[in-house]
Amino acid sequence: MKGRAVSSPILKIAKYTVADEIQQRSLVAMFIISAFFVFLVRSCYKGNYVVNGQQLDAATVAWQVSKAAFHFIAAGTMFVTALLAMRSFRRDRDNGMQACILSKPIDRRQYVLGKVLGLWSLSIFFMFILHGIIFIIASINMKSFLYSYLLASLLSSFNLLFVVLAVLFLSLLLTDVVAFLCAMGIIIVSWVVGLIYNLSQGQMFQALAHQSAGPWSSGLTWQKMVYYLWPKISDMQQWAASLLGGEGFPGRRYLYPLANVLVYCLLIAILLLRRFRKQDIV
Amino acid sequence: MIELKSVTKRYGSLTAVDDVSLSLRQGEYMALLGPNGAGKTTIVRLILDLTRPDSGYVSVNGIASTDPACRASVGYLAENQRLPPYLSGWQYLRRCAELLDIPPKVAVDQCRHTVELIGMQGREHTKAQTYSKGMTQRFGLGAAILGNPQLLILDEPTSGLDPIGIREMRLLLESLKQQGTTVLLNSHFLSEVEKLCDTAAIINRGRLLVKDSITSLAAANETLEDVFVRLVKG
Repeated sequence: MKGRAVSSPILKIAKYTVADEIQQRSLVAMFIISAFFVFLVRSCYKGNYVVNGQQLDAATVAWQVSKAAFHFIAAGTMFVTALLAMRSFRRDRDNGMQACILSKPIDRRQYVLGKVLGLWSLSIFFMFILHGIIFIIASINMKSFLYSYLLASLLSSFNLLFVVLAVLFLSLLLTDVVAFLCAMGIIIVSWVVGLIYNLSQGQMFQALAHQSAGPWSSGLTWQKMVYYLWPKISDMQQWAASLLGGEGFPGRRYLYPLANVLVYCLLIAILLLRRFRKQDIV
Repeated sequence: MIELKSVTKRYGSLTAVDDVSLSLRQGEYMALLGPNGAGKTTIVRLILDLTRPDSGYVSVNGIASTDPACRASVGYLAENQRLPPYLSGWQYLRRCAELLDIPPKVAVDQCRHTVELIGMQGREHTKAQTYSKGMTQRFGLGAAILGNPQLLILDEPTSGLDPIGIREMRLLLESLKQQGTTVLLNSHFLSEVEKLCDTAAIINRGRLLVKDSITSLAAANETLEDVFVRLVKG
């Protein structure tokens, strides 16, 4: 009963957040345009692709196109989520809803968690629908259901939670645009660091590293520290995408990105709640 | 019903509220008076926990203001009342009723009754972006009185209202007084305050100058305005 009393205001605020966000015509327009472009991907499944003089079979094409679309949609949704989150507190403050809600018997933590839940749910819905379009197109072309696609989409939604929390927290400290840019910066650095690390694992790089004793060669260098401690948005995305190939559970080593992202989400959520507790509501 | 004990609130080097101790009893109709920037709105915001004191203690109904439970039966009208432009007044009232945990069927009846009380029949379903300041103020008041709160905190309730609106507001506040609602009224309209309130607290530069019944404050042939000017300037 007590649990219900605590969660109920969170759900109400989440509902208002979703309702308020979909009132924005720009979001609806962006969603329709995105869905239209994703729908256009279907023509990519019917092309003839030749690599090194060999024609690719339909299954390989379908798998590669689906994987590319998966990453593209996830990255686009992260961008849109950051845009939504950066204005969320400010809009509530400007139209008086923040003062209205918090002058009622609603705890500040419930308000913040409601905002997080609302924004996260909306962005998951946004991404899931777009991934769902690819799922249907791929399933029709491959004549079998790619259920792992939807599972991968759900896994990738933890990255969206990170984006929501990071942007909301940063928007309390910085201006909205700077908060958005900082969150985007974290994501971009995550991709760059991941890319460099993957390159460093290549045979050519390993050979070079042995000759020159480079930073990735051996031991715990600061580059490796950055790689392991930085939010693993890109690795989380890669891990989710690895499910698309039907490779199944890729092993304990790959749990690290999920653990890393979840720990970051928890830390940012604590900082967000603490910061908002001190916030003056106008 | 409301108790502030040695409350101080600073914004940087500015002391908005300076060691204020104030109480409001159940059924009391109190005006919070003071010139612009005296700290009236900060006191209201401290009571509602919209801002936190640097020192001192605030309680409502014997519960610390930091506990949301103390706001279970408190209605609040903000100084610059705003509504989300994409919501209608009706949707706004429904949201407020939902936040107060009023069951949906009861909420519809209460919202309908409130719309009648604030004189907004026929306009409740149009978007708030088409409302004038006075209309927004009326819906803000509607949201404040929803659920029949025991304590009503009104920050400049007549701001933006036309003379008819001011009169209607006064009649509404008089009827709430008859019902025994405790009211904290923050207003610049001293003539209205004189007609409505039992007690007045006068604040200047964050400090409480005096709190007493209006009849005790005013000497013979003196209006509340005279008392206000004498205390603030003198």
